[in-house]
Amino acid sequence: MRVYSIFILFFIDSFLPSSSSSSSSSSSSSKHHFLGISPQDENYYKSSSDTISCKDGSKKFSKSQFNDDFCDCLDGTDKPGTSACPTAKFYCKNAGHIPQFLFSSRVNDGICDCCDGSDEYDGQVKCPKTCWEAGKVARDRLIKKIATYKEGAALRKLEVEKAKVAIAKEEAELTLLKNEEKVLKVRVGELKEHKELIEKEEEKVRLQKEKEEKGKREVEEDLREKGKADKEGKVEHEKVEEEASTENQLTESTHDDIIGNVEDSSSKEHALENTHESASPTTEDVSSVATEIADDAGSKISPDVDKKENEVLSDISEGISREELGRIVASRWTGESTKNQGETPKDTHDEQYDHHATDIVVDTGKDDNEKYDYEIDDEQDESYEEESHDDMSSYNYDDEPDLSDTTSSYNSSWLEKIQQKARNILKAFNLFQTPVNLTEAATVRKEYVDSSTKLSKIQSRISKLKEKLKHDFGPEKEFYAFYGHCFETNQNKYVYKVCPYKQASQEEGYTSTSLGNWDKFEDSYRMMVFSNGENCWNGPDRSMKVKLRCGLKNEITDVDEPSRCEYVAVLSTPAVCLEDKLKELQHKLDLMNKEQPREHDEL
Amino acid sequence: MKMKQVAFLFLIFLASQTVYSWKKDEFRACDQTPFCKRARFRKPGACTLIAHDVSISDGDLTAKLIPKAPHDQDQDQIKPLTLSVSVYQDGIMRLKIDEDPSLDPRKKRFQVADVVISEFETKKLWLQSASTEKINGDDGGLSSVVYLSDGYEAVLRHDPFEVYVREKAGNRRVVSLNSHGLFDFEQLRVKKEDEDWEERFRGHTDTRPYGPQSISFDVSFYGSDFVYGIPEHASSFALKPTRGPGVEESEPFRLFNLDVFEYHHESPFGIYGSIPFMVSHGKSGQSSGFFWLNAAEMQIDVLAKGWDAEGGILMPTEQSRIDTFWMSEAGIVDTFFFAGPGPKDVVKQYVSVTGLPAMPQLFSTGYHQCRWNYRDEEDVENVDSKFDEHDIPYDVLWLDIEHTDGKRYFTWDKMLFPHPEEMQRKLAAKGRHMVTIVDPHIKRDESFHLHKDASQRGYYIKDATGKDYDGWCWPGSSSYPDMLNPEIRSWWAEKFSYDNYVGSTPSLYIWNDMNEPSVFNGPEVTMPRDALHLGGVEHRELHNAYGYYFHMATAEGLLKRGDGKDRPFVLSRAFFAGSQRYGAVWTGDNSADWDHLRVSVPMVLTLGLTGMTFSGADVGGFFGNPEPELLVRWYQLGAYYPFFRGHAHHDTKRREPWLFGERNTALMRDAIRIRYTLLPYFYTLFREANVSGVPVVRPLWMEFPSDEAAFSNDEAFMVGNSLLVQGIYTARAKHASVYLPGKESWYDLRTGTAYKGGKVHKLEVSEESIPAFQRAGTIVPRKDRFRRSSTQMVHDPYTLVIALNSSQAAEGELYVDDGKSYDFKHGAYIHRRFVFSNGHLTSSPVGNSRFSSDCIIERVILLGFTPGAKTALVEPGNQTAEIELGPLRFGGQHAAVAVTIRKPGVRVAEDWKIKIL
Repeated sequence: MRVYSIFILFFIDSFLPSSSSSSSSSSSSSKHHFLGISPQDENYYKSSSDTISCKDGSKKFSKSQFNDDFCDCLDGTDKPGTSACPTAKFYCKNAGHIPQFLFSSRVNDGICDCCDGSDEYDGQVKCPKTCWEAGKVARDRLIKKIATYKEGAALRKLEVEKAKVAIAKEEAELTLLKNEEKVLKVRVGELKEHKELIEKEEEKVRLQKEKEEKGKREVEEDLREKGKADKEGKVEHEKVEEEASTENQLTESTHDDIIGNVEDSSSKEHALENTHESASPTTEDVSSVATEIADDAGSKISPDVDKKENEVLSDISEGISREELGRIVASRWTGESTKNQGETPKDTHDEQYDHHATDIVVDTGKDDNEKYDYEIDDEQDESYEEESHDDMSSYNYDDEPDLSDTTSSYNSSWLEKIQQKARNILKAFNLFQTPVNLTEAATVRKEYVDSSTKLSKIQSRISKLKEKLKHDFGPEKEFYAFYGHCFETNQNKYVYKVCPYKQASQEEGYTSTSLGNWDKFEDSYRMMVFSNGENCWNGPDRSMKVKLRCGLKNEITDVDEPSRCEYVAVLSTPAVCLEDKLKELQHKLDLMNKEQPREHDEL
Repeated sequence: MKMKQVAFLFLIFLASQTVYSWKKDEFRACDQTPFCKRARFRKPGACTLIAHDVSISDGDLTAKLIPKAPHDQDQDQIKPLTLSVSVYQDGIMRLKIDEDPSLDPRKKRFQVADVVISEFETKKLWLQSASTEKINGDDGGLSSVVYLSDGYEAVLRHDPFEVYVREKAGNRRVVSLNSHGLFDFEQLRVKKEDEDWEERFRGHTDTRPYGPQSISFDVSFYGSDFVYGIPEHASSFALKPTRGPGVEESEPFRLFNLDVFEYHHESPFGIYGSIPFMVSHGKSGQSSGFFWLNAAEMQIDVLAKGWDAEGGILMPTEQSRIDTFWMSEAGIVDTFFFAGPGPKDVVKQYVSVTGLPAMPQLFSTGYHQCRWNYRDEEDVENVDSKFDEHDIPYDVLWLDIEHTDGKRYFTWDKMLFPHPEEMQRKLAAKGRHMVTIVDPHIKRDESFHLHKDASQRGYYIKDATGKDYDGWCWPGSSSYPDMLNPEIRSWWAEKFSYDNYVGSTPSLYIWNDMNEPSVFNGPEVTMPRDALHLGGVEHRELHNAYGYYFHMATAEGLLKRGDGKDRPFVLSRAFFAGSQRYGAVWTGDNSADWDHLRVSVPMVLTLGLTGMTFSGADVGGFFGNPEPELLVRWYQLGAYYPFFRGHAHHDTKRREPWLFGERNTALMRDAIRIRYTLLPYFYTLFREANVSGVPVVRPLWMEFPSDEAAFSNDEAFMVGNSLLVQGIYTARAKHASVYLPGKESWYDLRTGTAYKGGKVHKLEVSEESIPAFQRAGTIVPRKDRFRRSSTQMVHDPYTLVIALNSSQAAEGELYVDDGKSYDFKHGAYIHRRFVFSNGHLTSSPVGNSRFSSDCIIERVILLGFTPGAKTALVEPGNQTAEIELGPLRFGGQHAAVAVTIRKPGVRVAEDWKIKIL
C-alpha cells in the first residue's frame, strides 16, 4: 500500500504539469490518471519520456493522453482507467479481497463491480467499500475448501494405493486364469476324446444288446427296465453333445458370456414391448408427420398414407375427438405424446414427465433399430442389467462367476488336483474292457461336464477382467473404485443413476431412459462423458456430462438439463482432490491474508 | 415388419433432410374456399352496377349502386348499395360501399372498429361540390370529379361504376377500383329452402348462418412496375403475379392470421398477421397505395400483364399498370386510396389513417435473449452472468410459457420461479429487463381466478350455439376473451397492474403469442368462423383483427400499470393494420436454415412498409439447430433488424452466443456490439418513424425512388437513409454482389473503403461481417463505449461519423430523450441536426426541445475527407482539437484509416460549430 501511495505521488508529479496544457475536457479527468493500473504495469507508465507506446506498438501517445478518456491505443494501453477503449482492462486493487481485472465496459457504468468501489469514480453512484466483508467471506470459503481438499487428497491417496493393489491383484489373477484356461482346454479336449470313445463303445454295446433283446423274449420284463435306463442315458448323451458344441464355440470366442447375454436380451425385449405399447396411440401422428415431410419433399404421397393423415386430422366425427386433435397439433411444437397429456399438467414436473414419455414413444421407428444396435453392443457389455437390479447402488463383477465350488483361492493345488483326478479316472478306465463299465463311463462324462463348465467360467472371468482392465482409470488409477459402482440422486420424481464405465440413466418407477453410454473422460479428468443415449424426438441423442468436484464422499450433487436431452451433473469425489490444486489454493489464501490488515490505509 | 422399418428409416431420413414440414393440406386453398373460388372465376366486365343518385351529402360524394339492366331471376334480391367517397388532407381518398341500412338488411355488416385513429376524422375535407365531366375514352358516360388535394382529384365514373384517383395535370390515373368490372358484393339474404350454406373442411363444419356475403373487386395501380406490401407472407418483397400469362398455378396472396407450423420460406399462404395495404412503385419514381379496412379472410391476386387479354375491357394504355384482384369473405368495402406521390408520402398517408408507430423504450431497441425456455431462476442467473463473463451486451431476458404455473398466464411455477421479483430486481440492477409471455387462451380451470372471473362475467368468445367457446391450446381446454369488446379489453388491461400480476415488477414487459388466435383443435388451427363476438359479430368478420385487439389490450394494460408514464413494450405475433401503435412484432416460428435467413429481409421490409416498423425475425431460426456459421451470419444481419432477438425451440441445442468456440463468440459479440454502437442512430430512426411512419428499415427504392435497379432488390436494405446492409445468405460465401444505388459513393462500415454508387460490386466476403455501407452525404451518430446494456450507455459520449459526398458535404440527425417516458411529447427531448459543409460541422436544433444531457461528442470521424488538417477550432469557446488518423471501429484490431477529430468535447445538447483549420 505504501508503494502504491508513492506511485500516486509520482503520477501527480509527472502528469499534472503536462495535462494542464491539454484541452479543458481532459484536465477534468486528470485526477483519474492513475486509476485501473495493475502493479505489474506500473513501471510501464513510469517512463521519463513524454510519450508512451501502445503495447501493441501501433502508436505512441503523450502523457497528457494517458487515461484521458479517449481511446488512442486499440489495445487499450493508454486507458486502463476509463471505458474509452473496449479492449482495456481495469484493475481493482480490492485490498482485503482478491484483486480483479474488469472489462473497461464496467468503468463508470453506474454499477459497483469492485468491492473497493474504484471502478465508479465519476460521481454517478457511491459505491460502498465491501472488500473487508466480502474478503472475509471469500477467505472463509477458501479455508473450508482447503480443508476439504486436504482431507480429500488424503482419501485420494488411499484410493490410489488401494487401486494399485487391486489392479495388480487382478492382473495376476488374469495371468493365472489364462494359464488355467490353457491347461483346462487341453484337459477338456482329452476328456472329450475319451468320452467319445466310450460313447462309441456304448453304442456298439447297445446295438448288440438290442439284437440280443430281440431274441430274448422271456426276459422282456427285465429288458423293459433296462431299455428305460438306456433311454435316459441317451437323453443325457444328447445333452452333453449339445454342451460340447456350445463349448466349442466358447473356445473360439474369448469373451462371450452366454448366460448374461440371454438374460440381458430378454430384459431388453421386455423394455421394447413396453415401448411398443405406449407407442401405439401415436403412430398415426408419427406417420402423419412423416407424410407431410414426404409431401414437402416433392414426392407424391402414397394414397394410403395420405388417407391415414386424413383419418387423423380431418375425420373428427368418425375418429378422434376434438381434444385429441388439439393434442396432436400441440405435439408438433412440443414433441409431446398426445396420450400422456391426458391429464392437463398440474405442474411442469408432470410435463417433464410427459416430454420424456414421448421421447420414448415417438421414436419407435428408430428405436427398433437402435435397440438392435444396443444389443450388439451389450454382448460385450456383460450383464449390467440384472446385476444393477439386484443392487440399486452398485453393480459388481467380482461376485459373479461362481468358481467357489472348485476353489476358494486360485492356487495351483486346485489345478493339480483336477489334473490328478482326471488322470486317475483315465487310468482306472480300461477302454478295451468289455462290456463297458458303466460307472466309469459316467465318471468320465461327469468329469468332462465339470471341466468344461469350469473352463467356461474361467473364460468368462477372463473376459470380464480384460474388459475391466482396459478402461482408463485415470493417470494414477484414482477412478478405479468407480468401476462397478453407480451413483444416484433423486430429483423430483426421477432417480438419476450414473454408473461410470457403463452408462447413465434416468429412472422413474420401472421406466429407465438411457442418458448415454460411457464414453470417456474429458477436460483432464475433470469430466465424465456419457454419450449416445436414447434419442430425443426432434432432437439429439441424449447425453450426459458429469463434472467432477473435489469432495469427501462420492455423491451426485446436482443434475441439470441445460439443453433439451443434454444433461449435466456434478459428482463430488475425493478422486479429484489434487495436491497441486491444494497448493494453489493455499497460495491464494496466503496472498489474501497478506492483503487484509491494510484496511485502514484504504480509508 | 421389415418393410415398415425400412419405411420408417426412409421417413426419418427425409425428416432430417427436409427443413420444413409445412402441412399444406391442413389449410384451405382458394379452390377449397367457395368465396375465393367463385370470385376467381368471375370475368372482367361481369359487374353491371352503375352509380345512381350521385350527390354531395355531409361533405361526401355519395351515390347508390344499382344494376344497369334488371336481372332475370335474382332481381328482387338485389337492393341498391350505398357508396360514399370522402377526401382527407394529404391526398387520401376513402371509398365506402355497404348495404343500405335504411333498407333493413338482415344484419349490420361488420365494420372494423378502433383501427382508424380518431385524429383521422379531423383531417376530413368537407366537399362542397362535384363537377361532372365526360372523360375521353369513357364512351360519353359521365363522371363526377371532386377535389382531393392540390395535385389530385377523386373521380367517380357512373356507368359502369368506377372510382379512381387521378393527377390533375394530364389526367394521369393513379389508383382505380373496378376498372375491369370485377366488382361483386354478395348481399345478405334469406336462405332458400334447398340451399345448404354450411361449409365443411377436414371434419370441421362452419354453420354459416348468414350465408354468402363476400366482396371482391379489382384495383389497378398506374405508372407502376411493382407492388409490395400486404403482409404477412414468407415471400419476395416485390409481389410476384399469382395469375395470368406466364404464371404457373398459384394461390392468391392470402390474408388470414394462422399459426402455421414450420412455415415455408416461399409461399403466398397467409401466416400470423394481416395488413391489407398495398404499395405500388414505378419507373417514374412515384408510388401510390391502397388499403382495404376489412378483417375477414382476404385473398389477393396480383395479375400478370395480359391477364385480361380476352376480357375486352379497354384500359388507358399509355401508362404501365399493375392490376390486382381483392376478395374478402365478409365485411364491407371501406377502402383508402393514397395518392403518393413519393414512397414516403404513401407511408405517411397510410399511418395518418391507422396511426403512427409507437415510440419504443430505448432498452427494447437493444439485443433480446430468448429461449423456450429458460428453465428456472438459476438458469436465468447463469445466462445473465455469462453475458457479463463474455462482455456481450444485452438488454432483455425472456421467459416463454414454461415459466407459468401450468400455462396459466400471470402466474409463476412455484418450483422453478419461486422468487420472480427478486429475479427481476437482480436483472434490473444491471439495467436489464425481463419479458414474460401472456397468451390469449385462458385455461378452463375453475380454480384459476382469471378463468373464473372471465366466465362469470361472460367475457369469453361464444361458439355458434352461444356457449363459451372451448378450444385446445397449451394449457389444454381453453377459452378466449372477446377482445373486440372495449369493456373486456379494459378488464384485461387491469390484469397487468402490479397488484393483479403477482410477481411482476416495473422492469417486466410482455410478449403476446398465439393471438391469431391459435386453437390446436380448430379449423386450420384457429377459431371456427361461426364463433360469436360482442353484438353477434361472427369471428369470420374480425378474425384478422383479433390479435390486434389483444395486443392493444395488453399494451393498454402496461400503460395503465405505469400511470400512463411508462411506454409499453409488447411483442405480438399476430397483427393487423394499426398494430404499429401498440408495439413490436416478429415473424413467428421460422427455421434455422439459410432460406429463412434470406426471407427475413423481405418480410421485415414488407412489415416496415406497412407501418409495422418495429419488427424482426428470430435470430438463429426458431426450429432446428443452426450451424455456427449460419448463427453468426444471422447475428450479423439481425443486428440491423429493428427488433433484434435470439430465440429457439425447446428441442434445439442451447445456442447462446458463447457456446460455439472463442472465434464464433467473438464474431457474435462483434455483431451485437455493432448494434449497440448504432443505438443512437436506431433510436433517432425510431423517432422518425414515430413522427412520419417512415420505417427504420426500408427498401432501397424508398431512398432512391428512381433507381430502377433497386425496385426488386430485397437482398439489401437501408437502415434509415444512411446505411445499406446486405446479408450473406449462403454457407462459406467468398464473394457477394452488392448493388449500391445512387450517384454518390458508399463507405464500407468496417474499412472505410469507398465504393462508387450506381453499380454492382463484387466484393470479397470475410467471416467478420456482412456487407454494410454508409452513404456519402450522411452523418451517423454512434456511441463507441461498450456496456452491459443500453441502460449504462446513457452518459457515454458520442461519435459522429461523417461520410462526405462529392461536394464535401453531409448531414444527419440525432434524437435523444429519456428513453422511457412520454415526456418527449411535451418537448423533453434533444433533436439535433448536424450539417457539414465548407469544412465546418454545425449542430443546430430541430424543433423546440427542453432536455438536458451531460453527454459530449468525443470523436468526429470524417470519411472521404482529404487529410492534411491538423487541428480544428471548436466554437463557442475557441478550443482547439487535434486531428489525426484513427480507427473507424473499436472492439478489435482495426487500422487507423479515418480522419478523426479528437475530443472536440462539445455537448450534444448545445449549438456548436467545429471548423477544420
